[in-house]
Order: sequence, then C-alpha cells, then structure tokens
Amino acid sequence: MYLLRLALQSLSNRRVTALLTVLAIALSVTLLLTVERVRSEARASFASTISGTDLIVGARSGSVQLLLYSVFRIGNATNNIRWDSYNDISTLPQVKWAIPISLGDSHRGFRVMGTDQSYFSHFRFGRDKQLSFSQGKAFDDLYDAVIGADIARELNYQLGTELVLAHGAGAVSFVNHADKPFRVSGILTKTGTPVDRTIHISLQGIEALHVDWQQGMPARGSAHVSADQARELDLTPSAITAMLLGLNRRIDTFAVQRQVNQFTGEPLLAIMPGVALQELWSLLSVAEKALFLVSACVVLTGLVGMLSAILGSLNERRREMAILRSVGAKPWHIFSLLVLEAMALTASGILLGLALLYLGLWLAQPILEQQYGLFMPLGWPSPAECKLLAAILLASLLLACIPAWRAYRLALVDGLSIKT
Amino acid sequence: MTRPLLELNDLRFAWPKQPVLLDIAHFALQPGERLFLKGPSGSGKTTLLGLLGGVHLPQQGEVTLLGQSLSELSARQRDRFRAEHSGYIFQMFNLLPYLSVLDNVLLPCRFAQQRRQRAEQRHGSLNAAAIHLLQGLGLNDPALLSRPATALSIGQQQRVAAARALIGSPELVIADEPTSALDADSREAFIKLLFAECAEAGSSLLFVSHDTALAPLFDRSLALPELNRAALAEVN
Repeated sequence: MYLLRLALQSLSNRRVTALLTVLAIALSVTLLLTVERVRSEARASFASTISGTDLIVGARSGSVQLLLYSVFRIGNATNNIRWDSYNDISTLPQVKWAIPISLGDSHRGFRVMGTDQSYFSHFRFGRDKQLSFSQGKAFDDLYDAVIGADIARELNYQLGTELVLAHGAGAVSFVNHADKPFRVSGILTKTGTPVDRTIHISLQGIEALHVDWQQGMPARGSAHVSADQARELDLTPSAITAMLLGLNRRIDTFAVQRQVNQFTGEPLLAIMPGVALQELWSLLSVAEKALFLVSACVVLTGLVGMLSAILGSLNERRREMAILRSVGAKPWHIFSLLVLEAMALTASGILLGLALLYLGLWLAQPILEQQYGLFMPLGWPSPAECKLLAAILLASLLLACIPAWRAYRLALVDGLSIKT
Repeated sequence: MTRPLLELNDLRFAWPKQPVLLDIAHFALQPGERLFLKGPSGSGKTTLLGLLGGVHLPQQGEVTLLGQSLSELSARQRDRFRAEHSGYIFQMFNLLPYLSVLDNVLLPCRFAQQRRQRAEQRHGSLNAAAIHLLQGLGLNDPALLSRPATALSIGQQQRVAAARALIGSPELVIADEPTSALDADSREAFIKLLFAECAEAGSSLLFVSHDTALAPLFDRSLALPELNRAALAEVN
C-alpha cells in the first residue's frame, strides 16, 4: 500500500507528463469503446430489422439477395412470384399468416412497397414490436399511401400530402406515374429499421399504376387508363416480389421451407431470416473487424506512449531510486513501484475514457437516434467491454515490465551511488 | 576490547573487467565512534559505501556489521539488514522531491520494522520521533513538516536527511560528503548537530569527505588511499 502511495506521489510530481499520458490513454479507450458500442448496437439493430417472421419466400436466387431486397430494400429481385403461387403457399395448413410484398417503384429515392393489411397486423421488428401509426391510419382507398417516419421528417410530408410515384427504384426517374397521384393516409412511428424509409401502398395500388403499361412503357392515347377508370377494373395482381410467412408452429419451418424450395409451379426460394441475417452480417463483419483492429492499435499507441514517458523519466529518477535503496527498498520494490505507476496511469486513463464515452453518448444520443436510428443506451459497461478494459490493463502491466525491469537493473548496478 | 561495530578484513573488490579498485587489509569502526574517512574523488569511496551497505559484495574478504558477515546473507536479507542498522546521508539532493519533510524523515520506517518499533517505543509515535529529531537538528517550525522537501534550503535539506538517517536509532550512520554543498560556517554547525544526535541515538558515525579541515572535529581520522593497498600499488 505504501508503495502505491509513493507511486502516486511520484506521479503527481510529474503532473504534466502524467496528465498527458492519461489523456492519450483515455482518448484511445474512448475510441475503442465507442467502436465497440456502435458495433454491438449496429449488430443488435441489424438483427432486429425483422422478427417473428419464420420464412421469407422469393424467386430463386441467393438467400442474402432475397433478404436484402425484401427486408432492407437494397437491390432488386431477379424475378417475381406468380399470384397463384402466392395463393397456394399462403393457404398451406402450416401457414398462419402471409404478407405479400411487391416492389419496383419509388418516390424521390424512397422505395415503394405494395402490400396488404396483414402487413400492419403481422409484421414484427425488434423484440416482437408491432408497427404503429403516429398519425392517420392504414391505406384504405386505392390511392392511399402510408409513409415511414424518416420520409415524413425528411420530405416534411403530412397527412393528405399528394405524392407522385416513379417507375423504377432510382433516386432520379424519367418515368413518373404522374397520372395517378397518391395521398398520405398514415405516418408510421419510428422503428429504426428500413420501414422508416418505405412508402407502403396496397397491392391494388401497384396494379393500378401499371394496369395500362405495355412492354415496360406507359400506354399512350386511347389505351391510357385514367386514375378513376382504373378503380373500375379488376386489380388483382398477377405477380408479387416476395412474401413473409408466419407459421402456426415453429417446428414446421423446415418442412415448409422444403415444400417451397421444391414448389413445382415455379422456382422459388424460402429462407429463414435469422440464418440469412447471420450470413449477411458475416459479410459485413470484415469492415467491423477492421474498425475494431484500428481502434485496438490506437489503444496500443496510447500505451506505448506511456511506456516511452516512463522510460524517458528513468534516467532523471536514478537518484530517487538510490535514495529508496538506501532506506531499505529492495530492487523488487523499485520494480513494483514502476509497475504500479503504469497501472495507475492506465487505470486513470480507463476511468477518464469511460467518463468521456458516457459524456459523448449523452450528447450524441438524440442525434444518433434521429439520424441513424441507432439507439445507444447509457448502460453500464457490458461484459465484452469489461473484458476489453481488463485486456488493456493487462497489456499495460506487461508493457510496464520493460521500464520496471530496466529500473531494477539500474537499481542493482547503481546501488547507493547517486548519479546526477 | 569490545567487538567492533563494523569490520573489514582482507577485502578485495574490482568492477567486472577492471583492475582491483579496493584492497583493504583491515578496517574497524567501534560502537559510538565518530570516524573521519578522507577520500578524494575517484578513490573508490562510493564503491566502499556500496560494500558497507551490502549493495555490492567483495570478491574476497568480508564486511562484518554487528558481528554479521554480509556475504553470508542473501541479497534480500542484506537490503533488510542495511535498512535496519544503518542510515545514509548523501552529498546533496537527499530527499524525495514529491514527499513532504515529515514523509521523507519517516521513509526508513516504511522499510525497516525494527527502526520503526524503536522510534515508536522511544517517542510514543513515529511523528513524535521525527519531530524530536528535526527539533534537535534546529528545524523547529512545525509548518515545515508538511512542506514539500524541495521548498527547503540546501542546509535545511541536509538536516532533514540527517533526521532520516537517524530515525529509529540505527547503529551506524554513514555520511557521504554531506557538507560539501554547505558554506564553512554551516558546515561546522551541521556536524555538531549531527554529533549530538548520533550521541543521543547511540549511533556510530562514518563520515566520508575530502575536506580535511573537518577532520580534527572527529574522534579519529583515516585516509582511504592509505588504507587501500590497491591505490598504493598503482601509485608505485
């Protein structure tokens, strides 16, 4: 205990260097913990994009691709599912509910998704959370649209705002469905998932947009069908892009998956969202690991900075060592003194780093949630973070042995002679 | 004749790959004796002090303190033995700059159990022992105790160092040129205070210096170069 007091007093005598060293360690610790937090929160929010869905069904392609376009609204489907296939699968005895998804249009860069009422009652995200409306209600009329929270905020849309959908998924489209404008009937509460950036309309709405299209082009002249004329037509879709399935019993998942994959009508693919999410995350985790590695290197730099600060101080402290030796300190005491010093610096660095992290989180929390849908709770350090911090302490302990060993040698050689 | 406190017999020492630096046939310090050892710089003075403190071991012969041969002890035991039975005063910068005056004086008690107990028995508490010593050495101001060591003048620092060497009444006090940074007047005053305190603590004093003007103040005086056969051999 007395040695620790000596170490601390010796450090306070070299206040400026000690503070700078602590600051360097603190900043690197903050960086490491921030990366770790963002990493685990991103992972959690990624995994909570969809829940409660047992199977996602789409045209046969890769499972990651299917997940990307059906859940994340990234990329496009290679093919569609015929409407009667949808009917066949959704009426299987094991199937509890089915949500049809029809993609392909957009509005100012936001994807448009055709679906039906089952979406609002069965779709789940996060920990079994249901979609809810902050304003308005689900689509009712053919030309009603329900928009996600981000769209409402970014485009400043309110209930009743009219919007013209564009053909294709790009931000800039040359072909607009200007003849059939939609009206905002509801705005969803923020979910932190791609739902926030989606415009939801009915399957019939999607059908109405394209009812008079021929060979991927809008019809001209007499073939043109006006918005009101479209209401009179049979708007049962001929195809959809994908569907989400909920089963009565989870145990049937594999059986239904096999049934879909062996579906005779057309080549289809059924994936389990959890498995596909895992697969996708392992692709993304390369970047995540690189980020982590870089921040770990920054911590190492901080520790090496401390090492050089202590090593640099050794020569001017040989007198101090000789005095301690003369009053009975063993070389081992000198060794411990330096290790304790390094540990004190690192521990203060870690504490300050944690303080900076929480301060930063507290300041950035609202912005992160609004801008990126990342909710960063101000919780206690997680077990993984504690392990990281322990690893930092251990690393500093090992590094501290270098100057400590040198001081030990010096103490043995110098003995009681005071070098000036 | 009583057993000497400190005795050197047939001692030879050389640093690795260097000629023999010290070759002393016999040297003894009696209990309570105040000995002046004249040693010009480069005469192996510092090395001798290292040998007396058991920090280094001679290649031949032995150093005996209180009847205990230092060579028979392990390095750990020698560190312990040194701390329990001897106090050191160096040339200058004796004090740890980051400790208060009081903590500097008490430093040996943190490492030497017996000295701690002796100080407590004699004065009731460690602080009382330190204050008593400091007062004896002319540092009466109680505000001084908590002041950092660096805030003191050099003369004051040397007196604090003397108090540190004397706390817990070690049998031997070794002073290595403690007065070289002081002016002539304070030199004598310092030595007289040191004598008085050594007498009170019952400690022998081995005073090493190149300043022969101080020699008459002591019970006895010796010159290291005359003692050291290695140096004689070199001169001849």
